[in-house]
Amino acid sequence: MKMIWLIAAREYAENVKTKGFWIGILLFPMILIAVFFFQSMLAESAPTRHYILIDQSGQYAPAVEAAIRQEHQRRILQEFVAYVIEHRKEANPEQTVANADAQIDQLIDDVDAGEVAALDQWLESGGLNFALTLATPYLREDAPPFVEPREQFIQAPLPEGVDASASPEAIIEQMRPWLSGGRQLRVDASDGSDGSDGSDGSDEETSDLFALILIPAQVNNSILRPSATPLAMNQSSVGIQYWARNLTDVRLPNAIERSINSTIRNNEFAARGVDADIVREVQRTRLPVSRLDPSAEQGQEAVSVADQFRQWAPVGFVYLIFVSLMQSVQYLLSNTIEEKSNRIIEVLLASVTPLELMMGKLLGIGMSGITTIIAWLLSFLAFIVFYPGNQAEVLGQFLDVLLSSDLIPYFVFYYLAGYALYAGIFLAIGSLCNTLKEAQSLMMPMIMILMLPLATMTYIAQDPNGPVARIMSWIPLFTPFTMMNRAAAEPPLLDVIGTTLVLLLSIALVLWLSGKIFRQGVLRTGQPPRLMEIVRMLRQRH
Amino acid sequence: MQDNVLELTRVSKRYGAFTAVDDISFAIPRGAIYGFLGPNGAGKTTTIRMILDILKPDSGSINILGETSALNVRQRIGYLPEEKGLYKKMKVWAIISYFATLKGMDKRVAKARAFELLETYGLKDYAEAKVESLSKGMGQKVQVLSAVAHRPELVILDEPFSGLDPVNQEVLEQLIKDMAAAGQTVIFSTHIMQHAERLCDRMLLVAKGRKIFDGTIAEARAIIPRRVILECQGDIAPILQMDGILGAIEKNIEHSHAEPLSIGIRHWELQIQEHTNPQLILQRCFESGIPLTRFDYTQPSLHDVFVHLVGSDAKEHHFR
Repeated sequence: MKMIWLIAAREYAENVKTKGFWIGILLFPMILIAVFFFQSMLAESAPTRHYILIDQSGQYAPAVEAAIRQEHQRRILQEFVAYVIEHRKEANPEQTVANADAQIDQLIDDVDAGEVAALDQWLESGGLNFALTLATPYLREDAPPFVEPREQFIQAPLPEGVDASASPEAIIEQMRPWLSGGRQLRVDASDGSDGSDGSDGSDEETSDLFALILIPAQVNNSILRPSATPLAMNQSSVGIQYWARNLTDVRLPNAIERSINSTIRNNEFAARGVDADIVREVQRTRLPVSRLDPSAEQGQEAVSVADQFRQWAPVGFVYLIFVSLMQSVQYLLSNTIEEKSNRIIEVLLASVTPLELMMGKLLGIGMSGITTIIAWLLSFLAFIVFYPGNQAEVLGQFLDVLLSSDLIPYFVFYYLAGYALYAGIFLAIGSLCNTLKEAQSLMMPMIMILMLPLATMTYIAQDPNGPVARIMSWIPLFTPFTMMNRAAAEPPLLDVIGTTLVLLLSIALVLWLSGKIFRQGVLRTGQPPRLMEIVRMLRQRH
Repeated sequence: MQDNVLELTRVSKRYGAFTAVDDISFAIPRGAIYGFLGPNGAGKTTTIRMILDILKPDSGSINILGETSALNVRQRIGYLPEEKGLYKKMKVWAIISYFATLKGMDKRVAKARAFELLETYGLKDYAEAKVESLSKGMGQKVQVLSAVAHRPELVILDEPFSGLDPVNQEVLEQLIKDMAAAGQTVIFSTHIMQHAERLCDRMLLVAKGRKIFDGTIAEARAIIPRRVILECQGDIAPILQMDGILGAIEKNIEHSHAEPLSIGIRHWELQIQEHTNPQLILQRCFESGIPLTRFDYTQPSLHDVFVHLVGSDAKEHHFR
């Protein structure tokens, strides 16, 4: 036992001295800080996009412009809601539909429920100015003023020499240098809202053309109606043409499509004698669904944000186990291989038994893994304590929720169990290889197996007692992850006790078998063994 | 029975069809410096690993410091493996002290001992340096020190001299002599015969997994008949008739000499019996009027014994 301690202490001390360890420890708080402090900055730093609109039909330009305005308003609305949540006098994570006490809550809730309706209401009631008047009494005194986000999509004038009345093909041909990024647009530097005046040269700068929206004159012929036979779709450019090299930012084309379709539908309503206002009103009619939890106490059944958090917290823990496990087993592997390739192992084995060596390593690296997690939790706590504003308070309340639930003991158990199981396997792999390169091929299948609980983590959180969750719980390699994943859903006692027994037996078996492999593997030189040789190793009695 | 620190009885080890160690028996008395010699691939390292119970023999028994397994007496043994390696990121004193604590030494005592050893054997300035900054030879010295820091009764050094410059080889020889003087038993393997010749009380020679010789250095030398070398013009027939002359070989050694022999000079090697007095041969030469240009009587070196015993085996490598 003393030897195990000595080895563990050295492993720990050496591990703590490595750069990788400190990077691992510091990365988490840095990400946390980045997420909270730079979130808004990142949103603001999104580049301004310039687009050109050519409407040959003369019907849809206002709709497109409205769509882009609306897209901007939607962003303002979202940021405003985030602003209100952050700077309210009293954050209330237990808030539900039922106890919403102000119009502000209504607004927040609307944004969550259905953006279209909320946006309409927002615009109708006067937009930002109205909302600010409404919200001000509820904001804390020290709240900073709300900063309206910049407009992201700005219309640019057609470059000189391009004929807007030419055929679509000709326009595209003329615009190609700009579309391909070969030429730059001259745009107004100060603000794109009033288009271009071009009178003041110093205000001008150049910019890439983000998108060209081309509405052909005969666009109405392309309208699809369920009653009519569909048009032959042999042309790739029917209807409105949206030309852009950026294929990932779909906000603009989506907004245009929504807005133009809404215009077309309004025209259609008018043509068929239906009152568009009535339709809109009907569309905005909704019946709220109250989410109630039968397992909660009477009067507390309403599902709150905190309840949802409690349900989703296990996913965070699964992820934490995964990250920490990956880090630890990497250390174990590279460390065993170092000792092997340096032949230190022989000196060690003349002093301690292979089992002592293995357990010492397991313990030492395990301790450094736990150190990392504790450091993360501490930095999380420090963050909550020192971060100004309500968001952190919300986090603090989430922490209370966590501590009051039984998730923490689950996490501790499944972390340790998962570590013992995978560390045993990776130690055996390390003992068979002389270089990291060799180890990589043996590691691959293990990494794939480790990825599976991660891939199913969201699904299992949604269906924690479903067949997939139950089956995976009984596979020892997945048990720590899947059972952690299910922890908040009160899985059947059979599953909890049964899988725990299977898990503990598997850990004992894995450690015993990898002890055998380790004993023989560490003194091996040359190529990693073939499968049959490993089987022979497992059979060997020392 | 003598006080033996180590006894091997009919020990064998096979890897599949390859027999690494074949039926070896020997005993090592307390306080001896014992040379463990043999060509590459002779089974030296396998034997040492079995002695340390890192490997299990397939058959035979080992008694070490009165125990059947070295694991029970680990703390009384010091071991330097053939392939040398240390933790690269550790400090020199820390690694010596770490291995000493693994052998049961108290932490503080081990640290003091590490500094003491580093000072004695010329590495004082490197005590706080990291292992990765050392040269190969220095690293090896550190490793030897870390193997013996806990003052083991039995020290087993596998190829301790390889990779050391002549000066440091002497330092290491001194260390081995110091340990023997302190009553520690030292076993070391090598294929450099001079070290064995200078240091060993006894030696064990193995080849192809089998024991070929076990005894004192003098006994080893006696294996090869003593030789007298003669160079002269003409025949030496009268001498061959003498008692105690086992045989004579005429050698053509032109190639091996820097200065070629003068025309007509012939080179003879006489093998003589143990008790034969070389003086008598010289006397007979004068009596018979043989004009000697060279008369040479030498003790066979351990090197000759080695080549004589394992020469043909060592040249050919067998596929394992």
